[in-house]
Amino acid sequence: MKKQKYWYKLDNAGKIFPAVSQDERSNVFRLSFYLDETIDSTILEEAVNKVLPRFETFAVQLKNGLFWNYFASNTKHFEVEVEPPQVCKYFKAYKNYGYMFKVYYLDNKVTLETFHAISDGTGAMHFLKSIVYNYYKIRGVKIDHEGKILSEKPYSKKESEDNFVSNYDKAKRRNLKEEKAYHLDGERFYNHWVLMLKAKVPTKELISLVKTKYQCTVTQFVTAMLAHAIYKETVDFTGGKKPLKIFIPVNLRPYFDSVTLRNFSLYIKGTYDAKRTDWTFENMLELTKEQFKDQLDKDKLQSRISSLVGFEKNVFIRVLPLVLKTIAFKVGYNILGESISSCSISNLGVVDLPSGLESRIIDADFVNAGYGIAMTLISLKSHTNIIFSSPLKDLSIMNHMIQFLVSEGLDITLDTNYKEGYDEIL
Amino acid sequence: MKYCKTCHVHYDTTLEHCILCNGELENEDEKEVTYKFSECQKRKTSRFFHRLFIFINIVSILISLYIDFSDGLPLSWSLIVSITNLYAVVMFILLAVPTIWTSKFTKSVIVTIGMVILIGLAIRDHQWALDYVFPFAVMLNILLITILIIFNRKKWFDYFSALIIVTLIGLVPGLLNLLKVTEVTWPSVACFSYALVTLLGIIFLPPKASREEFRRRFHV
Repeated sequence: MKKQKYWYKLDNAGKIFPAVSQDERSNVFRLSFYLDETIDSTILEEAVNKVLPRFETFAVQLKNGLFWNYFASNTKHFEVEVEPPQVCKYFKAYKNYGYMFKVYYLDNKVTLETFHAISDGTGAMHFLKSIVYNYYKIRGVKIDHEGKILSEKPYSKKESEDNFVSNYDKAKRRNLKEEKAYHLDGERFYNHWVLMLKAKVPTKELISLVKTKYQCTVTQFVTAMLAHAIYKETVDFTGGKKPLKIFIPVNLRPYFDSVTLRNFSLYIKGTYDAKRTDWTFENMLELTKEQFKDQLDKDKLQSRISSLVGFEKNVFIRVLPLVLKTIAFKVGYNILGESISSCSISNLGVVDLPSGLESRIIDADFVNAGYGIAMTLISLKSHTNIIFSSPLKDLSIMNHMIQFLVSEGLDITLDTNYKEGYDEIL
Repeated sequence: MKYCKTCHVHYDTTLEHCILCNGELENEDEKEVTYKFSECQKRKTSRFFHRLFIFINIVSILISLYIDFSDGLPLSWSLIVSITNLYAVVMFILLAVPTIWTSKFTKSVIVTIGMVILIGLAIRDHQWALDYVFPFAVMLNILLITILIIFNRKKWFDYFSALIIVTLIGLVPGLLNLLKVTEVTWPSVACFSYALVTLLGIIFLPPKASREEFRRRFHV
């Protein structure tokens, strides 16, 4: 039987988020499913509350200890809300019954926005799939889960495991030093509003393009495409001192045989020298492939895990009271945190759904509102959504990428949260 | 669906113009397009009055210090005004930060004790603050949280941090007395003893669940 009362230490990735999150840096990411019917909010709320006890890592509230924050069990009733206009909006857990995720509905769309301290994209996708599956179940629709819906499987303690700690190897620690990265800058939208631009492309054509013409993966292709767009569209990058650094989170579960629902991803990065003036898409792609090959090595990943966990195991860090740690995290993050990355790309891959559910889900969104431009990819059925999100008003980099994809012969359908008239209010 | 003939992209939203080139979009087929997000409304940021309150208090501190300084040193009444202004700002921030009320209450008591001691120092007579206000305020705080825990056992772990902090602070008057900083002994000794008994009670009396709470709160 599952325990009613439990608590967790925060994982390595999650430890810093409670201290540094705010309106302009929410550390919240969004997953949405567009269903084939208008959402009934009462049933949706019932589905969330039915599923929640099964997902121990989501049914938590953040508590303050003397030295560290921790997650304690949360059994309060959860309420769903109408989706707000702002994507990946920062929210305060105390206004959400202590929960660190939000479930929104709007017409036929169910949205799960998750605070990164509790989970990453993979964990949140399991949770959203279970919510939607149970939504249909309560509605009386019979769907075979085909072993793909976690809420229908027995709970495993492994789902709540901190795999950063379990893969820590003291001997593999090394010094992690990061130089500062080039930053995109410009006028921002009012009141932390984030523009979302979704480019829907046929998956088959996209894969055919990257495999046959460029002999690379989709993630390598979009990384090089973003790097090239920044090189071409910015006026202060070339000749500058700071390199362009694109951060790409890697799901570590396949590398370390993990099924955890907690954070278990690590960034690799594409780094491009600002002093070079002969960049082309092709040579950026070649460099990207080399960097991916070099960094996606199990030993190197474990070495980085060990270095990160080693930092929190430092006795001086551990005995520092939480209030001082919070101040240190805030100061450190403001000085270093954002300065080491230019932008990010996150590819969640194909959404694996039972066939009965797949026919009822029309589309899916995955949005990660980060610093500068954040790019995310998610594939459902026969199409892939390449989603750009940006707090900046300048669309030239996105424009460059869309034009590049069009020039490569891809059929693109755009959707956006922008509306005519928003220029007046944002 | 709509189409931009300049950018060669389709649109599945209600835009009339292309977001990339601002060209007019053509209707492509009969498929109805919808806006799939909540409408954004212009709203003012709500922190203006917070900032105004803090700004007025800072101005008050600067003006009173300047006027008092103009009359020559040492500073007198302006210190009391400044401490009170500072107290108002700190209390305002404390009360505005959302947390459980026992935590707010404990923090308020600690800040108030600090303010009273500072006023005592400003008027060059701080013994009343250290000898009486400090120990009695802490004892009252310990008593209130203890009563709350006894009558609301279900949520006792929510009050746990406040009780630990306030009992540790309760040991301070005893130490001050030992160092001869305080003049009247009995309130300090009473506060020290009460805090010590409470602290020992917290450690030895609670059941297994409480020891688990200790582990959570103090894990390193």
